[in-house]
Amino acid sequence: MDRLLASFIRALRNAQVRVSTAETLDAMRAVELVGYSDRATLKNTLGLVLPKTRDDKAAFDACFERFFVLKDAANVGVDRSIPAEDPPSLEQSHDPQAEAEEDGSEQRERGEGRGDSQGDGAGGGATSGGGGSERASAQAQDGESDGAAEPQSSLGKLLMYGDRMAIGIAIAAAGRAIGVHNIEVFTQKSVYTRKVMNEMGLLELTEELERLHRSAAVPERRLDLELTRRRDWLRDRVRDYVEHQYLLHADVTGKRVREELLRTVRLANADARSLRQMQEMVTRMAKRLASLYSRRRRISKRGHLHIPQTLRRNAGYDGAIFKLRWRSTRVDRPKVFVICDVSGSVAEYARFMLMLLYSLDEVLPKVRSFAFSSELTEVSDYFSAHSVDDAIARILLIHGGGSTDYGRAFMDFDEICAGTLDRRSTVIILGDARNNYGVTRSEVLKSIYDRCKRLIWLNPESRASWDLGDSEMQLYAGFSHQVEECGTLAQLERVVGRLLRGA
Amino acid sequence: MSDSLKASSTSSAIAASAIDSVAVVKSRLEASQYICSDEVATAVFLAYHLKKPVLIEGPPGVGKTELAKTAAQMFSLPLIRLQCYEGLDESKALYEWKYGKQLLYTQVLKQTVDEVLQGARGFAESVQRLHEFGDIFFSEEFLEPRPLLKALREKNGCVLLIDEVDKADPEFESLLLEVLSDYQVSIPEIGTVKATHEPPLVFLTSNNTREISDALKRRCLHLYIPFPDVELEQRIIAARVPDVAPELRRQLVRFIHSLRERDVKKAPSISETIDWARTLLLLHADSLDPDTVKSTLNVILKFQEDIESVQRDVPMLAQQARDA
Repeated sequence: MDRLLASFIRALRNAQVRVSTAETLDAMRAVELVGYSDRATLKNTLGLVLPKTRDDKAAFDACFERFFVLKDAANVGVDRSIPAEDPPSLEQSHDPQAEAEEDGSEQRERGEGRGDSQGDGAGGGATSGGGGSERASAQAQDGESDGAAEPQSSLGKLLMYGDRMAIGIAIAAAGRAIGVHNIEVFTQKSVYTRKVMNEMGLLELTEELERLHRSAAVPERRLDLELTRRRDWLRDRVRDYVEHQYLLHADVTGKRVREELLRTVRLANADARSLRQMQEMVTRMAKRLASLYSRRRRISKRGHLHIPQTLRRNAGYDGAIFKLRWRSTRVDRPKVFVICDVSGSVAEYARFMLMLLYSLDEVLPKVRSFAFSSELTEVSDYFSAHSVDDAIARILLIHGGGSTDYGRAFMDFDEICAGTLDRRSTVIILGDARNNYGVTRSEVLKSIYDRCKRLIWLNPESRASWDLGDSEMQLYAGFSHQVEECGTLAQLERVVGRLLRGA
Repeated sequence: MSDSLKASSTSSAIAASAIDSVAVVKSRLEASQYICSDEVATAVFLAYHLKKPVLIEGPPGVGKTELAKTAAQMFSLPLIRLQCYEGLDESKALYEWKYGKQLLYTQVLKQTVDEVLQGARGFAESVQRLHEFGDIFFSEEFLEPRPLLKALREKNGCVLLIDEVDKADPEFESLLLEVLSDYQVSIPEIGTVKATHEPPLVFLTSNNTREISDALKRRCLHLYIPFPDVELEQRIIAARVPDVAPELRRQLVRFIHSLRERDVKKAPSISETIDWARTLLLLHADSLDPDTVKSTLNVILKFQEDIESVQRDVPMLAQQARDA
């Protein structure tokens, strides 16, 4: 299989462009057709086959630019390390673009050969370094009066006499040898930079530098300074290289790991920095749930033939059947009442709960929300007047704080919603059931429980701590259809998904 | 490269060797007065060689439908068009039984049926005899092919244009999947109809009123045609309305581009530019003067509020277009 294309597709997937196997095969056929010879055509071609939305296309463009510039340089370099015995060729400045535009088939061969020729790591670099040294000795003979010293280590030679291209290849080879594409998070960048440098023979060079440093002779001191300067330059180059590799291979892997982590971290423990990312995740979650559920609704729009009604309707046509009637299932949109405890300990959970529910307005248009700490107020209006984020912030600011009183909250809720609560309503209560040893008013909860279709209690605390201290969970659980732990995004998604399914 | 390709597409209206590079496609499209970017030409080139449908997206009026028509002209293939709308179903897109003919035939054949059944003893035997005639009424004779089926049965291949696929219901997309990936349809009473000769060259267009399903997108090449840049649009006008003087052409294209940058409800597209160029030609205008522009603004802007908001700035915009 075409390795260049395969690794490009991997980079593309890393950039969160969804590429299926079928599309990969299409891309291969397409590339076979147009070849690698013309960069613009290649870009157009892959741009038609791989990305399928405008967002993906933008990501594709960025990825293509980053990927193929890099690879071009590497490809050209490999070629040139082979005729390194011929010193003059090293002097000529090659235009990478000109070479890149050579015949496509040749490029492809090169692409395949690349893995092998660069596999033996420093080999390529060493060859060109060796080639350079011949020239260097000639130079040394010329400038004997200067008394230039010869670097001994292979890296030193490479630095002194190799051109940019040779050094670039040596970096790439070392990178491949230590597996730089395994980099996952950006904090690993310095580690990988050091690893690459070591692979290139940094230790040897350092030893040499120390020796030169101790030496008293002028040429050696001069070489020392020069080599140190070049080593620092090399370090910058390597850092850039690792950075590039990080962007190509790791960026999203790291993000994915993080997201996986965030899904299961307790919401209250999420730090401010992750908050944005978690909000994004909630929005995406809502989108997925909405599309899942709206498809279900469409299906239930169709139905079986309603024979009696069909016959009755067509009686006027002398029994010839012209108009059909379908037995359709009525789809009720769930009427959802959310009661959120917004006292200090639960506020963070309420934020995500409300965010998810109101992001679902496509499939859940009838959400009424209530917030309480000591007394309960309806907060639905905040959501019609402000954006979801804004509304939540306001609610937490105005109604948050204070000590929780569940008994009072149930009474208030019962009063406000006495008339509207019916067999189609779902009541969700989000709270830790810690009533500060106050009156529980479980009989009010029971009357709510009796009237609604479902009463779901979501407790953000972990099950182990449910009945400890002032928690009334066990009592309240008796008057709930369903009690769930809801401390992480993953749990939240599961609960809301079930709510939509059961509706 | 080319050997295997030539082998794979021999029986086409045009020999494959004729369409052997993107440049050829581009120049042929241009010969048919369709001026386009390299990307568009590449899409046609790939669609032709890979036998894959092309899903074309973009703002209205940038020539999505036109591309399919021009491609048909270019390959000299018949164009079969399926216009999508809400409620479109398989009986209108795929096939339909000729109910009228079936009814008529049953009436006419009543006599014959009597003869056939003559002497048959009992119900079971009658049914048995009828069975021997097979499903005559559900055979090709009584099948009314709709665009999709018609396209598959076209002998020398054709260009199938499925226009505004986003207007159809999401269910319809699933119906398309079989047609687009395998170039075949399944008719329960008859079996599977395959494109035996040359599969049609399929173009789907979408105005993005809703997201097309991933399954459909995966089977297609995805082409997005944006508004063209100034240069390309000038060339399009030059090709479509050749009588317009170069200076006026330059000015009017610039004017349109400045309109697209403004916040208007519906930005003028290429088709509007062409209409406008024709209008100005009729009015014998040789440069953009504010009065002419004001009186013809309704050609390029389709909403009253857009016209009102732009009207005030016409002198300024016209000046800019002249100076640029």
